Amino acid sequence: MAHENSSGVLSYARLVTVARISNLTVRYGNFTALDDLSCEIPEGCTGLLGPNGAGKTTLLKTILGFVNPTSGEGVVMDKNIRTDGMAIRQLIGLMPEQDCHIPGMTAVGFVSYAGELSGMPPADALRRAHEVLEYCGLGEARYRNVETYSTGMKQRIKLAQALVHGPKLLLLDEPTNGLDPRGREEMLDLVRSVSHGRGVNVIVSSHLLPDIERVCDRVIVVIKGKLRTAGTIKDLKKLAGQPADVELREPNLAFANMLMEKGLSVAPPKGNVYRVQSELPPEELLRVVQRTALESGAQVRGFETAVRTLEEVFLEALTA
Amino acid sequence: MSNIKPIADLSYRNYDGPLKKPGSRWWVIAKNGIRIALKKKALWGLMFVSAWYYLVMLVVLFFVQQVTSSNPAGAQAMKAFMERLIWPDQFLHGFSYAQLPMLIIALMLGAGSIANDNRANAMLVYLSKPCDKREYLFGKWIGIALPIFVIMVVPTIIFYGYGALTFREYGFLKDAWLLPKMLAIIPIAAIFHASIVVGISSMFNQARNASATYAGIYFITNFFTLLMGGIWASSRGETPFPVKHLFYASIDGVLIGVCKAIIGTKGSAPFGIQSPGGVSQVPAPNVAAILGIALLISIVFVLIAWRKIRAVEVIG
Repeated sequence: MAHENSSGVLSYARLVTVARISNLTVRYGNFTALDDLSCEIPEGCTGLLGPNGAGKTTLLKTILGFVNPTSGEGVVMDKNIRTDGMAIRQLIGLMPEQDCHIPGMTAVGFVSYAGELSGMPPADALRRAHEVLEYCGLGEARYRNVETYSTGMKQRIKLAQALVHGPKLLLLDEPTNGLDPRGREEMLDLVRSVSHGRGVNVIVSSHLLPDIERVCDRVIVVIKGKLRTAGTIKDLKKLAGQPADVELREPNLAFANMLMEKGLSVAPPKGNVYRVQSELPPEELLRVVQRTALESGAQVRGFETAVRTLEEVFLEALTA
Repeated sequence: MSNIKPIADLSYRNYDGPLKKPGSRWWVIAKNGIRIALKKKALWGLMFVSAWYYLVMLVVLFFVQQVTSSNPAGAQAMKAFMERLIWPDQFLHGFSYAQLPMLIIALMLGAGSIANDNRANAMLVYLSKPCDKREYLFGKWIGIALPIFVIMVVPTIIFYGYGALTFREYGFLKDAWLLPKMLAIIPIAAIFHASIVVGISSMFNQARNASATYAGIYFITNFFTLLMGGIWASSRGETPFPVKHLFYASIDGVLIGVCKAIIGTKGSAPFGIQSPGGVSQVPAPNVAAILGIALLISIVFVLIAWRKIRAVEVIG
C-alpha cells in the first residue's frame, strides 16, 4: 500500500525504489509540463496513466535524462537525472510508441547493433540478439529485413532491442499499439513474464486500462503535471468500508429488508446483485448474509468483496 | 494432443555480461556505416574508377619505361617525356579527376546516413541508448569521411611509391614534402565531402532527395567553375579580377584550390601532353583563404546536421 512519507513523497513499504522523483518541475517556456511532482516508482511493473498532455511524456523524458528539470530532483537506479543521463540510459531499455528501426538491417543485425550501442561487446551482442529474438517470438524471422515486418513483428522487435542489453528498467510506450487481439495477448504475456520474477522493472505508459490492469501491479496517475494518485491496483480498486456484492438467483426484497434490520447498509440492487456494507469483517459478514438468506428464502449465487474498476479509479482521479 | 514445446529454454534470461562505458558509441555507429557501405558492390567499382588517372599513369609510365629501356635511343626519349611531366601536377590531376567519383561515393555512403534514420525514426533507437547527439553525428561523419580518405589515399600512396622507386633520377623526389602534402590534402577532401553530405542528409527523410540536392549543388557549381576555367583559358589569363577567384566557387573548385595551394602548383595538362601554345591554368589561391573557405563550408553543414538531429520524442 502506498503511503505518504514525511516529505510528502508517496512511497511503498518493503519495496526497493527504482526511481524517486522529488518536487520535480519541468517547464517549456511558459508551459509547466510537470508541476512539483513527487513520487516513487518501486520495483515491479508500474503503469503510467494520464490523459494526453498530462505530463507522462515529460516524466519519461526526465527519467531518461533528456530533460533538464527547472527545479526538483530525481534519482533513477541511484543515478541523478540531472548529471547521469548516459549512465541511466545504459540501465534502461526504451520501447517507443512509434515504429522505429535502423534501416537496411536484418532483425538480428538490428538487435545486435542496439546491444553494441548499449555498450555490449560485439560477440555478446550477437549472441544475446539471437536469444531475445527467440524470446520475443521472432526466431524464425530473424534474418529478414526489418522493413518487411508486419506491425506486430515491428512491435516485438522494438521490445527485443529494448531488452537486448538486459536493462534493469524497461520503459514501454503503448506496447500493444496496432496489434490484433492475439498479438496483443502475446505482447502482454511477454511484458508480464519479463516484469515478474526476471529482475526487470517495467513502466508501461498506455491509454488502454485493461492492458495496464493485466500487466501492472501498480499505477501512477498524472494529470496536468501533478501526481493525482498512485498505488497498487488492488488497493486503488478497494472501496471505502470494504462492501460486498451479494448475487442472488432473483431479486428478494425480504432479504434486503432483513439485512437492514440487522444494521447493515444495502444499496438498491443492480440486477440480482446487492451491495452490502457493514463494519463487520468479511468472514462475519458472509455468515450474516448466509443466515439472512436462509431466513428470507433467498438463493445466494455469489459473494465477493466489491471493488471498483480501474476505469472508475482513473475517472475519479480525473475529476477530483 | 501432444504439447509442442521447444527443447531449448526460451524464457527470458537477464544479461549480466560486460557493458562498455558511454563515450565510444561513435565508433560503433561509424563501423556500422562502413560495414553497410562495403556490402555495396558498386562502391568497389567506384574505388577503381576514382583512381583512374593514377592507374592510367602507372600503365603509361610502365610502358614508356619498358619501351625506352629496350631501345638504345630510348634514354633520350624517356628524358624528353619526363621533362614534360611535372610530378606534383600528376598528383593534382589524380586528386582532381577523383572528385566526381568521390561525389558518387559520398552520396552512396552518406546521402542516406541520417535521412534514412529520419525516415525510420531510428533516432529514437540511437538516443535512447547511452549515445548522445554528439556521438551520433560524429559516428555518422566518421563513417563517411574514413572510407573516402582510404579510397583516395591508397592509389596516391601506390603511385607515389612507384614513382619514388622508379623515377628518382627524373626529379620525382625533388619536393621531399610532396607525400606529406598529399596526406594533408586528402583528409581535407574527406572532411569536406563528409560534412556536406551529412548536413544535406540531415535535412531530408529520403536518401534520394538528399542525393539529388548534393548532386545538384555539385553540378551547378561545377558548371560555374568550368565556365570560369574556360574564360580564363581562352583569355590567356587576361581576364577581370574575379574570374580566377570564382573558378574556385564550387565543390570541386574548393578542393582543387586546396590541392593547388598546398602542393604549390597552378597545374598543367594531364599525362604530360603539351597542347599547342599551352593552356593557361588558373593560378593557385591563397592557402589560408581557401582552407578557411573549406573549413567554413564544412562547419556550416555540420552545424545544419547538429540542429536538424532532434532529441528523442518518447511518447507521441
